Amino acid sequence: MKRFALAAAPIDVLAWQVRLQRPGCGGVCSFEGRVRDLNEGRAVDGLDYEAYPELALAEGERILDEAIARFGVQEVLCVHRTGSLVVGELAIWIGVAAAHRDEAFRACRYVIDEIKRRVPIWKKEHYVDGATEWVACHHAHDDGSRAPHGREPHAFVPDYSRQWRLREVGEEGQGKLRSARVLVIGAGGLGAPAISYLAGAGVGTLGIVDGDRLEASNLHRQVIYRAVDVGQPKVALARAHVAALNPSVRVITYERPLDAAAIAGVFADYDLVLECTDDLHSRYLCNDAALATGTPLVLASVYQYEGQLQVVSGAATGPCLRCLWPEEPAQALAGTCQASGVLGPVPGVLGTLQAAEALKWLLGLSSPAQGALVLINLLDLTMQRLPLDSAACRARGGCAQVARRHLGRVDAIDLDVARLDALLAGGAALVDVREPDEVAAVPLPRAAHAIPVGALLAGTLPATDGALVLVCASGRRSGLAARALRERGIEAFSLVGGLAGWRAEADGGWR
Amino acid sequence: MARVTVQYYAQLREQAGSSAEQTETAAGDLAALYDELARRHGFSLPREALKVAVNAQFAEWSRPPRAGDVIVFIPPVAGG
Repeated sequence: MKRFALAAAPIDVLAWQVRLQRPGCGGVCSFEGRVRDLNEGRAVDGLDYEAYPELALAEGERILDEAIARFGVQEVLCVHRTGSLVVGELAIWIGVAAAHRDEAFRACRYVIDEIKRRVPIWKKEHYVDGATEWVACHHAHDDGSRAPHGREPHAFVPDYSRQWRLREVGEEGQGKLRSARVLVIGAGGLGAPAISYLAGAGVGTLGIVDGDRLEASNLHRQVIYRAVDVGQPKVALARAHVAALNPSVRVITYERPLDAAAIAGVFADYDLVLECTDDLHSRYLCNDAALATGTPLVLASVYQYEGQLQVVSGAATGPCLRCLWPEEPAQALAGTCQASGVLGPVPGVLGTLQAAEALKWLLGLSSPAQGALVLINLLDLTMQRLPLDSAACRARGGCAQVARRHLGRVDAIDLDVARLDALLAGGAALVDVREPDEVAAVPLPRAAHAIPVGALLAGTLPATDGALVLVCASGRRSGLAARALRERGIEAFSLVGGLAGWRAEADGGWR
Repeated sequence: MARVTVQYYAQLREQAGSSAEQTETAAGDLAALYDELARRHGFSLPREALKVAVNAQFAEWSRPPRAGDVIVFIPPVAGG
């Protein structure tokens, strides 16, 4: 028998209490929700409950399972009324049986709060004055969906008065923000605060790029997400977050990383870009696209307790990322959070600084971060600004020239899924560079040589005269390996977006 | 011999076990100084992967260290 039920007739509490009895349970806690005679100041004389039964039953059951797992209680039961009820009548009954009272109280509280928040049940209130109104019992869903019979939510009017009062902002500045289009690449540790502050400030259009799904290990630093979101695509979650924070912001999402062929076209649609990934290759690609399109770019990266911040103006004369490090460093040389760890607030600080630099740029405020590398150490609480010059790029024809050359070259390495068949038909060999356990867990959609990236770079190559097409889970490892092989004179390509992108293409949607 | 202050970031800080130290060096240039410190602390990063700054300005590796210099070695970091 299911634990969660909908009841069209009055609830038989005694029968439910009998079901709840357990010999080992010394603490039994129940909650009764009843129809009140007043709502938001209006006298109510009754109401109708209407549920979306399939979803309500599934979500209710899930909540009770969560309560059992979370609080270690023995049994949780719940029944919710539908149909017409009068004032004082029982609308919901929740019962929890546990070894001890403390977890019984806490589980009971959890269940009613979650049901109010998540279970799709609406009530039509009958007011004493004869009027009626539909009210969603659950709070507005984060994805912005509306109750089918619910009243239209009041149009939200943003209040920017706290930043308006800044002399440098005012009505004119707010107008600049409203008409601005900002692209945030990576909705992770850096992107999460950046997206929040830009949305809160009223940036009119926010583009968000991320190909990942939320993982539990993200939550200590990616503060816009919740535990229940694990497994969901980050772009969808980030969109819902923005919609909840400031519905007046228009959000455009990109569910896959931008590749070299597409990136300049996308940059051209935006006034400013924030690079917030943990991927050096993406950082260089963004630098080159920023220079090629004249788009300002705010770069940041973090390591353990430290961060680096750089604002690239997009001016053809630089300075740019390549003035600092002309070539993309080997991935093994760059510190990553995955391997070395990071304290959650560190990307929080750096992502917030990226948002601040972006707003300053849009408002026309000067920034000392422009043309400099800023080093931030949160252990010592120090900040150092090191001015950059563009001599390194100047010697190679100037930042914009260098960037365009690189964009062209990267394009030749990154292979779009659409071009895969043609290349394989032409004799290229497909190489799965993932580790054996990954290959065993999710095989490629077609036959491939399985050579993990380490072995490939150590010299194990498939016996073929043709080119190599490397595939990994996301396109990152295959990209690095393909570039390394090119330097050795081997014609290697990397499948953009990896297996995730490939399957998305094949299914017209991943999973 | 010149007495200089050296600051470390990211992987170098981790391997040196501190953010900064004072050291006496007879190295003829910053490249030699880094090699000397790399031997002392067991730094795994090759010099080519780093940038160096002296007294809050990026510097050439061929610059000699002078008494009182504050020298910063900066590796690239990728985290986000």
